[in-house]
Amino acid sequence: MTIQFYWQVPTRGDGRLADAATRLRGERSDDQAYFTAGVTDPRGRQFNYYDHLHQIAKAAELAGFDGLLVPNDPQGEESWIVAGYLTRNTRRVKVLAAFDSARGSAVYAAKNAVSYQRYSNSRFAWQIATPVDAAERRANGDFIQDADIPQRTEEFVTVARHVITETGYSFKGRFFEVLEGGFKGPLSGQAVPQVFLTGQAEADLAVSARLADVHVFEAQPLVDLQAHLERLQELSAKAGRPVQAALRIDLLVRETAAEAVHDAARQAQQQAAKVIPDQAGLWALQTPGAGAAHATLVGDADQVIAALTDYAAAGITVFQLGAVPALEEAYRIGEQVLPALRARLGLTQQQAA
Amino acid sequence: MAIDIFWRIPTHGEPSSLRNKLHHRGDWSQQEGDHVVHRGLAGGGDDGFNSLDYIAEVARAAEISGFHGGLIPSFPMTDEPWAISSFLARETSTFRFMIAFQPGFLNPVTAARMTASLQRASNGRALFNIITGGGGPSQLWWGDVAPHDDRYARTTEFLDVLRGLWKGGSYSHHGKFYQLENAALPAQLLGQEFPEIYFSGSSDAALVSASQHADFYLSWLEPFDQLKEKFDKVKEKTDKLGRKVKCAVRVDIVARATEEEAWREVRRGFESLSEADKERYARFAQQTGDSVGANRQRNNAPKTLDNYRDFILHPNIWSGFSLLRGGQTNGIVGSYEQVAERLDDLVKLGADAFILASTPHLEEAYRVGEEVLPLVQGHGARNAALRAVG
Repeated sequence: MTIQFYWQVPTRGDGRLADAATRLRGERSDDQAYFTAGVTDPRGRQFNYYDHLHQIAKAAELAGFDGLLVPNDPQGEESWIVAGYLTRNTRRVKVLAAFDSARGSAVYAAKNAVSYQRYSNSRFAWQIATPVDAAERRANGDFIQDADIPQRTEEFVTVARHVITETGYSFKGRFFEVLEGGFKGPLSGQAVPQVFLTGQAEADLAVSARLADVHVFEAQPLVDLQAHLERLQELSAKAGRPVQAALRIDLLVRETAAEAVHDAARQAQQQAAKVIPDQAGLWALQTPGAGAAHATLVGDADQVIAALTDYAAAGITVFQLGAVPALEEAYRIGEQVLPALRARLGLTQQQAA
Repeated sequence: MAIDIFWRIPTHGEPSSLRNKLHHRGDWSQQEGDHVVHRGLAGGGDDGFNSLDYIAEVARAAEISGFHGGLIPSFPMTDEPWAISSFLARETSTFRFMIAFQPGFLNPVTAARMTASLQRASNGRALFNIITGGGGPSQLWWGDVAPHDDRYARTTEFLDVLRGLWKGGSYSHHGKFYQLENAALPAQLLGQEFPEIYFSGSSDAALVSASQHADFYLSWLEPFDQLKEKFDKVKEKTDKLGRKVKCAVRVDIVARATEEEAWREVRRGFESLSEADKERYARFAQQTGDSVGANRQRNNAPKTLDNYRDFILHPNIWSGFSLLRGGQTNGIVGSYEQVAERLDDLVKLGADAFILASTPHLEEAYRVGEEVLPLVQGHGARNAALRAVG
């Protein structure tokens, strides 16, 4: 059994703790000087936010993560552009781009994905999630009904998978259509991107059982998660194909539990969040910026390792981790959490730097 | 106004010359109509290189040699320009990515976000070659169902939405093809340059759409009188509709130190053709399709295929290029001076930009950048000529 660790790339607003809004890394503004008038700034417009994203991707790779998760955040950078930019500049990590099934033609998405695969030695992967909020969907030009989303996702993945793996493929569904499709020549024979799907409803789990390689659960206490994990296993056994379970969770790790709690409290305060943690554990504290997990695991390295080991024992085989600031924390977690956690799980530590 | 000169990115892979059929660069080759993967010098092996590494070299050669950037085409058999642009944004400096795509394939909000993000990643180096395309079953291959005339209306509406979102603030749209409610680009993605639009399409429906959104009307090279007529019509129509549209020519060239050397290159390419190559060409010349542009090209096909000279339309204009490689039929052949003069002729009849190409694209980017581009006068030539007459 291998267990994989992804690092979330903040597609917007990374910086120190929760006051990131006032000190965005890499962002430049003509009307807001970064330094006081008494200090010269040599940077001009030579750098931008993508240089920072590049730093984060390299940090995650050097720190021994297995992959990068590029979230789909309408308030941030577009995930496929970020994924392409970072894939070219990394060597080993998987690059998991999140997007929704209202993106456009499934054939076009598949065709672009084939290029990503060809250019990355098959390191590209898909996480498909459609916003649960109907207003957010309409702002994306998407007027689908809630109940229809799982079927559209299923059609999207079905069409994409077939045009990548065969030719002469025709399909006419409710949402997608293709005639005599399929990629030939140099575009043929590529690996279908690993498909990650999300959601906790019965219909979501059922689609994953039929189609997904990995099903992603949001951070929640293990006692709550257990029933969903079991249901996914039942459905996947019935469908006769294995589906891995992933957990999307943020971490706030410090050398001591007291420091972790202190920093978590400060972050909550800066965000004016209601939850003020007073001891290590899983807190309903959302990391600022793009694609926050539903909860944050707060503690020293041993505590965090113990909690993640419990999730792994319950069946989680992919962890999608995040923290702010993404660069420093990639190193901290890569150094203080991953090696010991991998040892505890009986895994070989990813060779880094 | 000075003219812009672009290069073209050979996503189809390419041979080392027009007389060599085996594609060593990129990773595929066309043989007797079947597309066969051919590994080439590097790529697909354990060394970590792939065909993008050659494309990256061509892009770097183009920017080093003084081209604005390059057209990155989109074909069923080749890699996609959105992918190439995002992958190469960081390792290029001034190279502008001309992304060929069909609006119908993308949600316009997704497209707007992709475009703004690519502008941020590349410091504003993205632009579009908007294609509305052929029709019929080939469109359904891409998963797209709209019929031909509707597709130009959809292109117009798609670009309306893109511009609407680009302005910032909350944007709603209720059209025939797209509905959006309170859509918005996030603040940090605003304020980027809107991509210049190179627009293709020869039908009346295409011209109506171009008159609303095109910055450049892009044509293949046609016989000069026909091209002038076409450019005049485009400019007249679009002027009437209130938008100044410039014209651009996408053309292959063979430029050498002397005219003799240039024709020798063409002749050797022609003499390396097999009978099957010529039969395939003859079949193409007899077809008719839904694309007005491709049909216009067929009208100039020669009646005999015995000698490369059968394909000479004008001095320095050769119409046999599609025999030697895929794509359009007409191109410019001549000495460096002659090629520059023909480009200036095209400027005089209305061209404001060029997309040039020559095989192999890497070495030829240097050659054309070093030998031909410095000789092109652009609109300066026209002014000089007028002064001389006056």
